[in-house]
Amino acid sequence: MEEESTSHATAESHPRDRIKLNVGGKLFETTLSTIRSGGPDSLLFALSNRASNDPNPVFIDRDPEIFSVLLSLLRTNHLPSTAHRFSKQELADEALFYGIDSHLRSASAPPPFSGIDASIIGSIRPASEGLPSAFTAADNGSVWIAHGGQVSSYDWNLLHAGTFRTHLDDIDSICRVWPEIAAVGSQSDAGLHFYDFSGSRHVGSIQWNDPSDPRIFKARVNAITASENSVFASFDCPHRENCILEVDKTKIEVVSQLGRQSGNQAKHMVPGRLTFVPATGVLVGSAVTGGAFGYSGYIRLWDPRSGEVVWETNEPGAGRSSRFGDSFAAVDVDVEGLALFKLCSKSGDLGMADMRRLGDDPWIYLKEKNPSLVVSNGGGGGEGSSSMVVSCYRGQVFVGRDGELEVWSRVRRQQEEEKEKEKERNVERGREGGEGLFRRNFVNKREDSERGAIKKIEGGGDRLFVSREGVEGIEVWESSHSASVISVL
Amino acid sequence: MPPFAGESVPQFQPKSDSNIVTIDVGGTIFQTTKQTLTSAGNKTFFSRISDAVSSSPRHTPFVDRDPELFSLLLSLLRTGNLPSKSKSFDLQDLIQESKFYGIENLLVNSLSNPSQFEPFNLQKSLILPLNGRDSVSAIATTRHGSLHVAHGSKITSFDWSLRRKSTVLTQFTAVDSLLAISPSIAAAGANDFSGLQILDLENGFVKETLNWENVTRTGSTVQAIGSSPDYIFSSFESTRRNSNAIVVYDLHSLQQVTEISHNEIFGADIASALPATKLQWVSGYNLLMASASHGGPSGVSGNVRLWDVRSGKLVWEMAEKVDCFADVAVSDSLSVIFKIGVNSGEASYIDMRCLSDGNEWVCLGDKRKVVNGNGKKEGNGCKVETQGNQVFCTKGGDVELWSEVIMGNGKKNKEGGVEEEGGRRIFKKNLMGRVKDMGGGRITNLAFGGSRMFLTRKDQQCVEVWQGSSREL
Repeated sequence: MEEESTSHATAESHPRDRIKLNVGGKLFETTLSTIRSGGPDSLLFALSNRASNDPNPVFIDRDPEIFSVLLSLLRTNHLPSTAHRFSKQELADEALFYGIDSHLRSASAPPPFSGIDASIIGSIRPASEGLPSAFTAADNGSVWIAHGGQVSSYDWNLLHAGTFRTHLDDIDSICRVWPEIAAVGSQSDAGLHFYDFSGSRHVGSIQWNDPSDPRIFKARVNAITASENSVFASFDCPHRENCILEVDKTKIEVVSQLGRQSGNQAKHMVPGRLTFVPATGVLVGSAVTGGAFGYSGYIRLWDPRSGEVVWETNEPGAGRSSRFGDSFAAVDVDVEGLALFKLCSKSGDLGMADMRRLGDDPWIYLKEKNPSLVVSNGGGGGEGSSSMVVSCYRGQVFVGRDGELEVWSRVRRQQEEEKEKEKERNVERGREGGEGLFRRNFVNKREDSERGAIKKIEGGGDRLFVSREGVEGIEVWESSHSASVISVL
Repeated sequence: MPPFAGESVPQFQPKSDSNIVTIDVGGTIFQTTKQTLTSAGNKTFFSRISDAVSSSPRHTPFVDRDPELFSLLLSLLRTGNLPSKSKSFDLQDLIQESKFYGIENLLVNSLSNPSQFEPFNLQKSLILPLNGRDSVSAIATTRHGSLHVAHGSKITSFDWSLRRKSTVLTQFTAVDSLLAISPSIAAAGANDFSGLQILDLENGFVKETLNWENVTRTGSTVQAIGSSPDYIFSSFESTRRNSNAIVVYDLHSLQQVTEISHNEIFGADIASALPATKLQWVSGYNLLMASASHGGPSGVSGNVRLWDVRSGKLVWEMAEKVDCFADVAVSDSLSVIFKIGVNSGEASYIDMRCLSDGNEWVCLGDKRKVVNGNGKKEGNGCKVETQGNQVFCTKGGDVELWSEVIMGNGKKNKEGGVEEEGGRRIFKKNLMGRVKDMGGGRITNLAFGGSRMFLTRKDQQCVEVWQGSSREL
């Protein structure tokens, strides 16, 4: 079959036809299907169309060694070990030339992130004023870091892609609105500001104003989150009155205002954290303050369409809380698994609530039973820790207590797997609240924890990014299938 | 070893009219296109090969050179960048080889191009040690990053790759102003030695000494040197310190073209007759910026002037009475004059797009500033240099990077949020470097060349090189 078409040079080509390429003086032979796997927009696809009625191989004036790497990538979907001879930048540039950069991206992406088997692969450090004040990770593993009024972008390869200076002196919240547009807010300056990476310029800003209330001015942004069409930002005025504004992503205009409150009590404070849950269309906001008498705060769920509060809990005090006096110190939402997680300030336990059955007291507490790992006061957590952070990523819950990074992950059991499969068949994804055994493990080594208190944890693109108090740059954690054996000879 | 080293001849021969060129370099066969070869430029080795192949297509040219180095340079021709495996080679070998093929300029462009200057990504990466005990008095750079360093009576020059240096001895006890005319020619002058000397640094002799014939018939010392694409400017003062002028020389013939800003000092009108201590050519406006300052019992006073060199007329002047500049510089691409006040240490600017008699410095307040209440002259010794769209200021041992934030898409904010009143431009600063780099010795010189920043510190016999992480040499 194959010989047939090469000799006849038919207009129609068969995917199993062979094609010869001469790259910089070296001859390569492969099949059309391999070379076309880069997609119809790639240069190689375009060359393969021309080739069928020409007995001479297609000549490409590029480096043959790096092409051989990319060809084996197309053949096997894996990067060969020879790829290590080339820098990431070089491979990315060359893959872009051939139009197969998406292939390279998927082949060089880290394996699914597992908190119980992750190691630190390095840290990203901006060249100047490297203390990150905020950062945001994207699904492709790239990250934007705000530091000293600048925003630096690192691409999926974690290579520096660009930096721009904003007019703000500090950036305390950052959110990716579009692939090139960042929304930033600051505690020291008013307004929500949009910056374009490609032109490194300011493209718009949003202020909270109320024509009927002159006291509403110079409102600062505390938290930002984005949905498909909107950006939600929580604003608060110097006199503590606050609200959440919904901003149209394309027009950069205020659409609606929700959750306006006076800010005179702990349960009316500005939300310091906002998360939009696409599956249910609900906006989750939470606020926590820590004082001499312990922590207090609230978790509130809004329906942005109606502007109504769907559910809320205040601590201390609300509901029939089975744990009075043990209010939460940190909250996060598992957007995929539809669960709320809270970290109890006193006991250090992790509370979990199923977002589909939120009631008066929906919390289920995950306790550490292993005595050697139990969080003891003054030891590794609980009241002894001054800083607690919780973050959900890929169904795992990451907790930072001071410098310690730990993960709560579900133990998979045979019946559960089957149950889950069954559920998936019934198009009813998710898991039962009470079921599933969570186990706590440390992610980091003891020496890692001494670097500084964890300020923020965020996952993206099978990487976990961690920033620490007073430490330049952000840590990058990845899982790897490579055993990384150490020879002791 | 290249993977195709064992192959003697490729398995096919291109058609005679083909665009493909086959070259045998040291036994390894390379193929490329005529376009790639001619992109090296005329009269290079590559264009000769291309011509030879055109005249006799059947013949494969043989080049008796190392094939591995050739493959690196071929990649450079194809992509404009050196491949990463070039890191395992000594840069010096590559430079030698590129000289053989006549494409050193391509190598310079890929490694030390001013357009690749990444101001936000600069980090301290190299130290160039200087021999002897003298600390650095002046540094000068060329566009592509060659560096001349004056220390004591010596001038050490580094080539663009910073891999080779040579040192010459001058007649000066210390060089106070230095200008790089080319990688091997520099103009040097001193406050205590008469004449501007044009030095051949390759061979170590004085090419020419340029003197200003002043009225008092005494020697003339050099206070500052500047240059434009056509001229050299030199600010002279007579050794009796009673007259001064800026003399303009033709850059190529070194003939005096004209003399501007001539001052004779009679009596006590010193403030307006100061010799210029910094000269900067502003090519976007075709003007020469000359600044002068003088410390007296009543404080520091000075002036900033813009001269039209062709007509010899003073175009604009700013007398500095209160908070005189410690240093001042013009940014062409931003169209601003930027200064650091000697008393306040604050940065201020004047927008050059609206120069008039009534210009005032616009102070760039800094909320993050730590207030220094001991009345010390905060701005003393600060340096200001501009490069591209950025302004670099040194303060003590740190470098500040000022950049303009371009605001808005025409959407005006009536509420007065971000849009500053009166079309004020927004400049923001950042401290450069990591925490561990902070607080070194006071910075005495700052210069830019190629994609790098050079600085020297007080009492240190070395030059620090800062470069972008992706373009390291």
